[in-house]
Amino acid sequence: MWANKFPRRTFLKATAATAAAVGAGDVFSLGEWMKQASAAPVTKIPSLCETCSAACGMWVHVKNGRIWKVTGQKDHGQSKGKLCARGHAGIAQAYHKDRITHPMKRVGENDFVPITWEQAYSEIAAKLKKVLQEHGPDKVFFSHNPRPTNAFYWPRLMAAVGSSTIQSHHSMCSTGRDVAYKWTTGGMATADLGNTKYIVFLGRNYVEGLSPSSAAGMEAAYAKGTNIIVVDPRHSNACLFATEWVPIRPGTDLALLLAVANVLIAENLYDKEFVDEWCVGFDEFKKGMKDYTPEWASSVTDIPAATIYAIARGLGKNRPASCIEQGYKAPNGCNYANGTQMFRMVACVNALLGNYGKAGGMKFGNPPKLGSLDAKKHPAPPKPKAKRCDGVGIKGEFPLCQPNQGIVHMMPQRALEGKAKAGFLYRINVARNAPQPELLTKGYKALDLFVVCDIKWSESAMCAHYVLPECSAAEREDLPTVVGAAVTMRTAAIDVVHSETKPLPEIVTELAGHMGLGKYFNFTREDVAAAMVKPLGVTLEDLRTKGTVKVKAPAAKPLGFNTKSKKIEMYCQAFADHGYKPVPEWEPPYAKADKNSFVLIHGKQGFLSHTTSISDPYLLAVAKRGDLERLWINADRAKKMGIRDGDLVEVSSPQATRKVRVKVTERVHPEAAYLPAGYGRFAPFLKTGVGYGINPNDFTPCRAEAISGHAMMMEVTVTIRKVGE
Amino acid sequence: MPRYAMIIDAKKCVGCYACQVACQMQNELGPENAYIRFEDRETGKYPNPKYVMVPLQCQHCQDAPCVPVCPTTASHKDKNGLTMVDKDKCMGCRRCVPACPYNARTYLKDEGIVQACNMCLSLVKQGEEPACVSTCLTKARYFGDLDNPKGEFAKQLAKAKQLRPDFGTKPTLLYII
Ligand code: SF4
Ligand code: SF4
Ligand code: SF4
Repeated sequence: MWANKFPRRTFLKATAATAAAVGAGDVFSLGEWMKQASAAPVTKIPSLCETCSAACGMWVHVKNGRIWKVTGQKDHGQSKGKLCARGHAGIAQAYHKDRITHPMKRVGENDFVPITWEQAYSEIAAKLKKVLQEHGPDKVFFSHNPRPTNAFYWPRLMAAVGSSTIQSHHSMCSTGRDVAYKWTTGGMATADLGNTKYIVFLGRNYVEGLSPSSAAGMEAAYAKGTNIIVVDPRHSNACLFATEWVPIRPGTDLALLLAVANVLIAENLYDKEFVDEWCVGFDEFKKGMKDYTPEWASSVTDIPAATIYAIARGLGKNRPASCIEQGYKAPNGCNYANGTQMFRMVACVNALLGNYGKAGGMKFGNPPKLGSLDAKKHPAPPKPKAKRCDGVGIKGEFPLCQPNQGIVHMMPQRALEGKAKAGFLYRINVARNAPQPELLTKGYKALDLFVVCDIKWSESAMCAHYVLPECSAAEREDLPTVVGAAVTMRTAAIDVVHSETKPLPEIVTELAGHMGLGKYFNFTREDVAAAMVKPLGVTLEDLRTKGTVKVKAPAAKPLGFNTKSKKIEMYCQAFADHGYKPVPEWEPPYAKADKNSFVLIHGKQGFLSHTTSISDPYLLAVAKRGDLERLWINADRAKKMGIRDGDLVEVSSPQATRKVRVKVTERVHPEAAYLPAGYGRFAPFLKTGVGYGINPNDFTPCRAEAISGHAMMMEVTVTIRKVGE
Repeated sequence: MPRYAMIIDAKKCVGCYACQVACQMQNELGPENAYIRFEDRETGKYPNPKYVMVPLQCQHCQDAPCVPVCPTTASHKDKNGLTMVDKDKCMGCRRCVPACPYNARTYLKDEGIVQACNMCLSLVKQGEEPACVSTCLTKARYFGDLDNPKGEFAKQLAKAKQLRPDFGTKPTLLYII
């Protein structure tokens, strides 16, 4: 298939490697190549990667005051001495062409002028005060991806302002999962991959939605013979470490889980003692599962009934060292209409296996506790009483959604409805990474005040009235955080590259000052950092030299579930009270392929973090070298449609039509078309990656799932037809 | 004199490109120049496909065809058995590029010279592993000395084979596929 690309260079298709001894051969010695190109001394400064949420510990190697390269910190639990492609490339963001170099004010469509910080603060403060006077704090929201420093500073400012609507990116990520676990097991337990004997991954892909340690963990588990079942419409690269790939019809994982529960109960393979001791509502649950036989599920999921029996029995026979992995965005953190109930079933099947707290099962984390500022000297603003403007916690809207997550992608719609008037966005790019960009950009622009704080230009920043430039990861020190039984902190590796950019603590503190709320910020970031690490016996100096410092792991906690009943709620009373099904039932996804259409699924590639990475010149080059932006279509269907590998096709949903090249493959379910999610940037100010590839969000309407409010990002079918060049 | 070599277990390569980018940073290459490239191969039919991703780079051939074609002796074998290109001697004629059957050489436009994997000799001399080896997420790469194989490298050596021995260039890079 690469024949036209590497005419005489492609040799893998020909004979594979055959055994040949490595002969001693002649060893030439024509002189030394290495002249030590640059003898400049290199210093190593500890930092944390900022290209994905794993935030790996890294050493920044600095030569002549410039970043040369990065290497992984060995003691950091995410990196364990390694870094992925994003990490190696991402640190150079400091020098990126697309950086925001000054505070900017929008004066027209795609037209911004640089202003002083002073002007930015005073104008933002004045406009925010006006919104507060006219509408109260109910109509003010703040959205971010919570990382240690911003998770402290921004919510504090919003509380001081009186706003309750603080949102993370999770409604475009894992909210379906997080809401389900909150109401079922009281929080998320994670799979003990190192000790399990039989594990089922539902869509979750440790080697492409990766951290170095997740990829290493999967490789190690596979090497020692663990049964690893990967259920996914796509044969992802995780299948290299799977004992079996089980292709599934998109959006039907819930049916598979219902049938697994059915078999575990019918064949008495479940842990009766555990269920008696730790679960509520088993009788109702058992009754609910009665009709969900593997034969039924087979017609729904397109998985042979025998395979479903084998999975249920494999789990049952290996319990408690068996589990369904907890999931993330995949398969359903924000992807399908049945998402929340699907994750309730993951928790319930794991409960049937009695695997909570057991080796090889599901374990709750027990991180060391960081300290906080002395509240007497540094009084925090009172907890705001304002009504949220995203419907979270409100009866009849989203009463059970996580208040710390909220429903971020619906804010532009809320703005158009007049329910939101002022918004602050910190370093997330909702306008590109949530469905229906036209609506999102229109909605953000409809706000009375929209402020974006970021490092590089983005589709969202282009909508803002004011854009505030932060300095990049390599240029700043941040607040510490825990990773496993260790504390870690980003420290500044180089001087600030653009003199008008600032670290976030300064920005928030100064903005608070202009709002007349300075009394809530009577400290420095270092004061906060020192207070955080103090109870753990670690100093900031330790962190500045070692990066990551191991601390004593807290004593193991006895098993317990942080739900209302203090047990696993197989029957969930809160769900019943709000009119949701208290025991999960089958609900079909909205999207269903027919003989002319495909469900448009998406997923990560290991070298990209959403669309932010594709505007990195090195990662863009990786994609271009491998034509990695292509849409995957199953080979049989492609043949019937007369589509060949590399052909240009037109992809259409009622919302959009776009052109992209095709990868024809045996590695995807016939009803699914897989589009990698990291492409299709359109912000006119970006110099890198714009216009390369297309994005699934273009095709999908902006909606909120009924229970947790997530974006249902894969609920869309598309038609595909071949077009000329 | 050690004879440095690498073994790549393609069965463990997840195609994450960490090695490719780490190598670019280590060697201060621009985005368009990479010493590591990839070819992938898909076999089998749905629902039983097989997939392999093969990282490729200079194979440090013992009979390196890129050496005799070089008019300036820039392209040479060094005392560690590595195929190297002397930056100062390379005049950028690019004759060695098509001579390499593994398509392992890259032309650095700005400098007007050809380069390829140098086994991170500067790191190796400091007792470290090459950048691509130390960062490989799944430990698919092993670095060692063919004359004095140790540890994991020695263990894997028995299974490792040359890629396309039919090219007749006697690579010292070895693969497990
Ligand atoms: S792989 Fe190519 S560049 Fe490297 S030694 Fe062999 S022929 Fe020369
Ligand atoms: S050994 Fe060094 S130069 Fe060679 S491919 Fe690996 S990282 Fe690049
Ligand atoms: S780092 Fe390792 S797993 Fe990743 S692409 Fe390179 S060889 Fe493959």
